[in-house]
Amino acid sequence: MAVIKDIAAIAKGMSITLKEMFSPTVVENYPDGPGPLKGAKFQERFRGVHVLQRDENGLEKCVACFLCAAACPSNCIYIEAAENTTEQRISGAERYAQVYNIDYNRCIFCGYCVEACPTDAITHGHGFEIASLNATSLVYRKEQMLAPLPAHLGSNAVFNQAETETGTPAVRS
Amino acid sequence: MPDVNITVDGKKLAVPAGTLLIEACKSVGIEVPSFCYYPGLSLQGACRMCLVKIEKMPKLQTACTTVVTEGMVVSTEIDEVRQARKAMLELLLANHPLDCPVCDAGGECELQDMTFSYGAAESKLIDIKNHKDEQQWSPVVYFDRPRCIMCYRCVRICGEGMDVWALGTANRGSAQLIMPNHSDYLECEECGMCIDICPVGALTSGAYRYKTRPWEMKHVGTVCTHCADGCKTTLGVRRSPTGMQIVRGDNRDKSGINGDFLCIKGRYAFDFASHDHRIQQPLIRREGRHVPASYDQAYEHIALRLKEIREQHGGHAIGVIGSTRTSNEESYLLQKFARLLLGTNNIDHHRTADFPSFAGALARKKDATASMRDVFNAPAILLIGNDPTEQHPLLAWQIRNNVRLHRARLYVVNSSPIKLRRQAASFTQIPAGSEPQLAAFLAGDDSAANALASGEITREALAALRDKLRGEPNLIIIFGSELRGSSIDSLVRFGAAISGAKFVCLGDYANSRGAADMGLYPDLLPGYVPVGSGARFHEEWGAPVPTEPGMNLLQMVDAAKAGRLKALYIVGANPVARYNLDPFALSKTFIVAHDMFLTETALLAEVILPAANAYEKSGTFTNTCGDLQLLKKAGDITTVKSDFEMLLRVADRLGFDLRQLVPFRQAERADLGQSRGAQSGEADRHAIWLEAHGLEPKLSPFDPIAMLDEIQRLVPGYDVSRVELLAGNDQHTSIEAGVASSIASQPELILPANDTLFTSGTLGRYSRTLNSVIENPRRAPADKADREVVV
Amino acid sequence: MPLSAEERREIEAEFPRYPTRRAVCIDAMKIVQRHRGWISDESLEDIAQLLEMSLDELDGVATFYNLLFRKPVGRHVVLLCDSVSCWIMGYDRLRERLCSKLGARLGETTADGRFTLLPIVCLGACDHAPAMMVDEDLHRDLDPEKAEQALENYK
Repeated sequence: MAVIKDIAAIAKGMSITLKEMFSPTVVENYPDGPGPLKGAKFQERFRGVHVLQRDENGLEKCVACFLCAAACPSNCIYIEAAENTTEQRISGAERYAQVYNIDYNRCIFCGYCVEACPTDAITHGHGFEIASLNATSLVYRKEQMLAPLPAHLGSNAVFNQAETETGTPAVRS
Repeated sequence: MPDVNITVDGKKLAVPAGTLLIEACKSVGIEVPSFCYYPGLSLQGACRMCLVKIEKMPKLQTACTTVVTEGMVVSTEIDEVRQARKAMLELLLANHPLDCPVCDAGGECELQDMTFSYGAAESKLIDIKNHKDEQQWSPVVYFDRPRCIMCYRCVRICGEGMDVWALGTANRGSAQLIMPNHSDYLECEECGMCIDICPVGALTSGAYRYKTRPWEMKHVGTVCTHCADGCKTTLGVRRSPTGMQIVRGDNRDKSGINGDFLCIKGRYAFDFASHDHRIQQPLIRREGRHVPASYDQAYEHIALRLKEIREQHGGHAIGVIGSTRTSNEESYLLQKFARLLLGTNNIDHHRTADFPSFAGALARKKDATASMRDVFNAPAILLIGNDPTEQHPLLAWQIRNNVRLHRARLYVVNSSPIKLRRQAASFTQIPAGSEPQLAAFLAGDDSAANALASGEITREALAALRDKLRGEPNLIIIFGSELRGSSIDSLVRFGAAISGAKFVCLGDYANSRGAADMGLYPDLLPGYVPVGSGARFHEEWGAPVPTEPGMNLLQMVDAAKAGRLKALYIVGANPVARYNLDPFALSKTFIVAHDMFLTETALLAEVILPAANAYEKSGTFTNTCGDLQLLKKAGDITTVKSDFEMLLRVADRLGFDLRQLVPFRQAERADLGQSRGAQSGEADRHAIWLEAHGLEPKLSPFDPIAMLDEIQRLVPGYDVSRVELLAGNDQHTSIEAGVASSIASQPELILPANDTLFTSGTLGRYSRTLNSVIENPRRAPADKADREVVV
Repeated sequence: MPLSAEERREIEAEFPRYPTRRAVCIDAMKIVQRHRGWISDESLEDIAQLLEMSLDELDGVATFYNLLFRKPVGRHVVLLCDSVSCWIMGYDRLRERLCSKLGARLGETTADGRFTLLPIVCLGACDHAPAMMVDEDLHRDLDPEKAEQALENYK
């Protein structure tokens, strides 16, 4: 009797194995997969490296209100604010973040900063390949996180006099 | 007056008749929200936030303008009231932009708090908010009109509180706005009180503009380092690449002697601390140029030279000049350093008032000095000389508001029509320089009236004034540096005939009084003890104190010129600029300077040690009234050190036992004298004192509080409550020179600072804010001022 | 132009009627306005000094009341009520007619300096709306023609 039971159990197990052998694979072939993501797949809600958004005119949304820094449980956001002038307009409001650093040594990707942001300036992107052997390179500066200028503005995206005069954006995206 | 019984939210309470309903509610912990109501200012009833239901009244009433009456039954938490508050907020928010993320008041805005408490963030109004551009009224005042909720607090504090009347309102209804006294800019005292009192972000500070947010800073309550009034200022500090940077000054907890008050210096003139020209490392002069050196090299160099000079020429060839802006502990240590270690009484400081004569005149009188708080409560005040509005802004504030709120009688005698005459019950203008005659006249010398009487001021008028003053019990007599030496004696004699009369002697810098109390005099030890009778200090310090008076500041300079003074140790002072000295007079002298900047004096030094200022260290300050307060370290520049530490390091290099300078880690167990007797000379008096006061021996010589222990134990009048002091409260010290009643203090050496509201000795030159306001007559564009100093 | 002796005398005559000097401020400004038609910055300063008030405070009062004029006005001031009752009863038409006749918009003075046209809130004549006031005379139950006619009497 025992033998039959064993054979039945093996047959049952092997049937699953055989079935899976002919169904499509679910293992992600990262990093050897195709495309820019090298095989990685994301849910839309995945919380990766932050992206600092721009408004429809290409100006930065961040107004340096420090609420993200206040909400941050790991205290990894550092901001210095400055005032926009007519010659040098960076954000849509009176002030902008002159310095905006996130220390990814400490960030726990909890998303509280995104929740706190009153202007929807900070969002989580899908960047995740940030591992590094050098801890200092994990402190990301604003320039590394800023969204690219909107495509529809193209090369005509000029926001301030400084750019007009030097031909280059005041803050590189 | 009998108490009135009222009921608020079911709680029965009895409050004094005449109390406002809002205050009565507050007294039992019921908060009635309000914007326009502010204690100490006139009533406005403008914001309508404090509406409450009073039984038998048909409509809701404003609690801030209603006086309690017997049997009143009040409800503050019913739906009707809550509805009204919400509706008021909705109206206030009708034009108020919701730009909290970029508003500097965000996080400490009363409108924000109320909206959180009562809702109304969602408005029923669909109209577009009325926008107007922000205006800059002065380097320190910005006005954002749509944020204004018309509570009139700024108008009232400027007019009633400051007596400046620079702000007003124009138009009415929704077009109403606050306006400055010139069409688009302000000309005023730039005190910034309007900014501090603004419940929203309509008035914001130029100095703090967009720097950071309130929750990002650490707030440290310390004492202002400018004038001698000792206001508490709360400094907001923030991490910076060089340590901790001060980004804001205000008085957010209003717990100091200054209450609501701060002037431009206390609020904005902290910026000297982060000036580019701050010396950040020791400098030694080599081949005519100051080159950076390590601390070790600097200490070594100083010790070597001082030792050499002391051995070759004796201690009297060394002079020491102390500061009016270092802490009491540092001044005390400095004179100990001079007397015990260098063996000289050649020690002096920039004197701005005759405190020794004052102490001498008050010898053996109890409670004869008034504290800054007393000035606010006294029934009558006599002010002789000085112009407090310019030189003692807090004192002026106390006097002004005492007159306004308590109907005090102010008598002003001055040689010029100072602004405080507007509050005075009587103003007497006397010829310049005749203040001593006035003191003599008050003391009963009728012949002195000849020098005073002129024009409208007749002898009869003067006699009438004197009679009136004699009939003013509890009079506070305040005098400036115009009165010195025997004139102070006369004045004290006059005061002795008035019951409860108290005195205030006005010095000029933040710790002028402390420097005097701590014995930075060639002829006086701490507590105004003449050097000749310093047996007690000899005994306590365990080393002989030179008994011959040393040279005063000017004598030291003369001796240096003649080549008799070989070394000069200057801590935080700029005598070259202050006394207009010939720099070449000091060319043969070895000079050590502790300083923050390359001042005229520091430039002459062979070794310059980079000093921390009062905002960057702990210790205590004594204001001109004698109120002792605690300094707390707020800002920090990692590479500079306090004068206290540097002095001790030099002493250490000179091979001196630091235990003799600072009492630390002494007896393990206090012998309370039972076994050998306190008089036996064996008992450790310091340990006994510590034990008796419940204090621990300090572990490190670099802890200034260890020095404070000794000061409190040895300096007469300084034995005040340590707990209160540590809690950040002011403690009044008495100036009881229980020793000699005649103190030779050379009043001719007194040199008043003559600062205005916008200048502050050397520090003022390095404050960009002070140099940017249009009211400063001596202002210079920032770069020009910098250049003047550097060359 | 400093206060004339007469103005000063008239203002000072008001002092005994009030407990403090500052209480005279409205009367003082009315006196000056009667003499000069309006209150200039200079006269405001003079009055403030006389009454021992701060300039800002006095200006606050001056701008609060809309019958005290801080800008020059014409010989006659036309106050046109724009409150609810008058508005319902044809204020719009009235305003259009007056503006086109006078060649001046609300808040402006005619080129010849004869009239200044100002809006005002409620003249208290709602039962006879629409209403307007010229100098001190109230005109009620108006229509554009009547209003135009009424102005003829003011030269």
